[in-house]
Amino acid sequence: MNITLTPEQLALRDDIRDYMARLMTPALLAELQGEQREGGGPEHRKALKQMGADGWVVRSWPREYGGQDAGPIEQYIFCDEVIRAGFPYPFLTTDGVGPVLAEVASEEIRHSVVDPILRGECIIAIGYSEPAAGTDLASLTTRAERSGDKWLINGQKIWTSYGNVADYVWLAARTDPHAAKKHHGISMFLVPTSSPGFSFTPINTLGVRTNATYYENIELEDKWQVGPLNQGWRMITEQLNRERLSLVNHGPCELLYERVATWAAQTDAGGSAGSSPVKVIDLPWVRTNLARVKSGLEILRLVCFKQAWSMSHSSLDMAQASAAKIYGSEFFVEAWRLLLEIVGQAGALRHDSEGAVLQGVLEHRYRSGSVLTFGGGTNEVQRDIVAAAGLLMPRYR
Amino acid sequence: MDFSLSEEQRDVQQLAAKILAREVTVDRLKAIEAGADRFDEALWLQLAEAGLLGVAIDEAWGGMGFDFETLCLLIEEVGKTVAAVPVVPVLASAALTLQQFATAQQCERWLPGLVRGELLLTASLTEPGRDNPCSPATRLESAGGGWKLHGHKHMVVCADRASAVLLSACIEDELVLLAINPTAPHVKIVPQHVTTGEPQFSLVFDGASITDDDIIARGANAQCAVQSMLQHTLVANSVMTLGVTDTMLKMTAAYTAQREQFGRPIATFQAVSHRAADAYIDVQNLRLACQQAASLPRARADAAEAVLIAKIWASDVAHRVSQSSQHLHGGIGVDRDYPLFRFCLWAKQLELTLGGGNSYLTALGDAIAAAFKQRAAIVAPA
Repeated sequence: MNITLTPEQLALRDDIRDYMARLMTPALLAELQGEQREGGGPEHRKALKQMGADGWVVRSWPREYGGQDAGPIEQYIFCDEVIRAGFPYPFLTTDGVGPVLAEVASEEIRHSVVDPILRGECIIAIGYSEPAAGTDLASLTTRAERSGDKWLINGQKIWTSYGNVADYVWLAARTDPHAAKKHHGISMFLVPTSSPGFSFTPINTLGVRTNATYYENIELEDKWQVGPLNQGWRMITEQLNRERLSLVNHGPCELLYERVATWAAQTDAGGSAGSSPVKVIDLPWVRTNLARVKSGLEILRLVCFKQAWSMSHSSLDMAQASAAKIYGSEFFVEAWRLLLEIVGQAGALRHDSEGAVLQGVLEHRYRSGSVLTFGGGTNEVQRDIVAAAGLLMPRYR
Repeated sequence: MDFSLSEEQRDVQQLAAKILAREVTVDRLKAIEAGADRFDEALWLQLAEAGLLGVAIDEAWGGMGFDFETLCLLIEEVGKTVAAVPVVPVLASAALTLQQFATAQQCERWLPGLVRGELLLTASLTEPGRDNPCSPATRLESAGGGWKLHGHKHMVVCADRASAVLLSACIEDELVLLAINPTAPHVKIVPQHVTTGEPQFSLVFDGASITDDDIIARGANAQCAVQSMLQHTLVANSVMTLGVTDTMLKMTAAYTAQREQFGRPIATFQAVSHRAADAYIDVQNLRLACQQAASLPRARADAAEAVLIAKIWASDVAHRVSQSSQHLHGGIGVDRDYPLFRFCLWAKQLELTLGGGNSYLTALGDAIAAAFKQRAAIVAPA
């Protein structure tokens, strides 16, 4: 057993870190501080296109698409560095929906959608959840009906992140309302956001902006229906499993932990110990808080790399993926709390305030951080999966 | 990066699991616990016969010559069965330290016999009020050409059977590591009664004679040796905790799946299955912490930190999984006719061995503070 990164993997990490540092220009950083914090603005689009041109998007793809078949560990390192840098990279497009389209979509779609994805010129939003279909996603009611040789889409989706800037929505719609089980009878569509009948309204959450999206008599040609008819559920669950893995990267937390520890080592806490002033990091409880974050973080790092390693040996099991999602999402909530305590009262200052500590990033992080415990598959359902798949405990029917 | 075991490691793991599963029945444990002390001599000899006592001992001394990580696989299997064999103090604390720091002559004296199961070694790391072996109150005083030993060690496993006990002491400010004979004159050995029933003893030294032959390491070398003994022991105990909690978790999943109340298995209540799921996550996380601490080369800068993190997790997971297992079992979990209680006792003993998790959290916090203060000093020299 050797749980360390190879020299090549460490070099890759450093390369990406350098690359991202150059990519995050002052103009892009300024854009990401403002209304377009989540991405999709002109600077963000420009940077994404640059990443596409420099071959980063296609890297993890199979060679037949011009990729390099980068392994799961290398891809984890890539994701981690990109998120660490604070760049809103559309992973759901590039590594979630993109590969599915490449596999099952028509030649025409591959040409008109997959190629732009690989060039960093296309963003796809996910249209799964509905106001009445969240955790019980299979009860969704957005419908796609045949109308002549076209599909007619009607319904509403919610939490459509990127819905305001995306080129397409990857939409789950009911195509067979009479199917024996509600999981059957769902199909997948790619809806161009330029379609007449598509609209959105913003949902301003505690942390980020997302959207409600509306589909009113949208007419789609047959080519926009992707994958086997009425068998969309499997595509959804496979994509969600993949998504779950990228929700709990350790890098951003590690970066914040280091920034807070550095701040605490530099900041006077008042008083003196002998000839030197007492720093915040000299306070015993601050050290304990940092140690708690560090010991939790180190395990998260191992959990993530173990998953990536398992994927490269195709032995990732469901319990493991769910356990990682539960642990990571709940650890983040705890970590933000422990780190905010260290900053103290000033931790409540927002990024645009005079006197904000570390640009108020913790204040924003705690507000947006709670999303993960229910987003991407609520942790109650993940615990059901752990008990059933990991411990073989019977489930209530 | 590779999380898999080598072929040899899998062989060791399977061999250990096979012997332990066959031998360590509930009846066997009961019989041993009804006896004079909780030591399964027959099993110890079987492990010796299979070569497992020498798993991490050099071939020169009759062992298999594998590494510490491989020894940890044996320890985990022992933890899974709570077999009455002192693998941690004998194989991880004492034998590994001797092998690394003692002279060839000293190794020759003890290690081949230990591998064959003919003699036992043990280690004493703590004193009353002092859970850290690096700052002992026990001292050596110069007398004639040699020394006299004064001090008090406690909770020494199998001290009554051991040919030698490794322990730390000071000659004035200088740390020394000794291997002493516990039956020598001026050594008082008193049995202690610990929560698991493991045979533990206090040792009081009242001027016992020590010669150069008894000294394993002195000064800086002794600092390294005692640190190494401490780190190996911490990781080995964490791995033992992993085995113990792994079994408790499996017992809990199996029991709640068949125990029916309100006309259905209690495992089908989410309040039950979710608490078990949390225990599953805890055990998985502890496994990763242990794997990292056992496999990182000691020379790496982050190795010491990995040991602290393993101990912190082991202490927390021991407590949480034990309480959850007992709770989810209900009344039968505390019944001494049902095997769970032994694992709960071991979980608590392991949690407290060498001090609880919070003392290590403090140590980790101090190490973090030192590192970041140093960095801050480099960035902004005063």
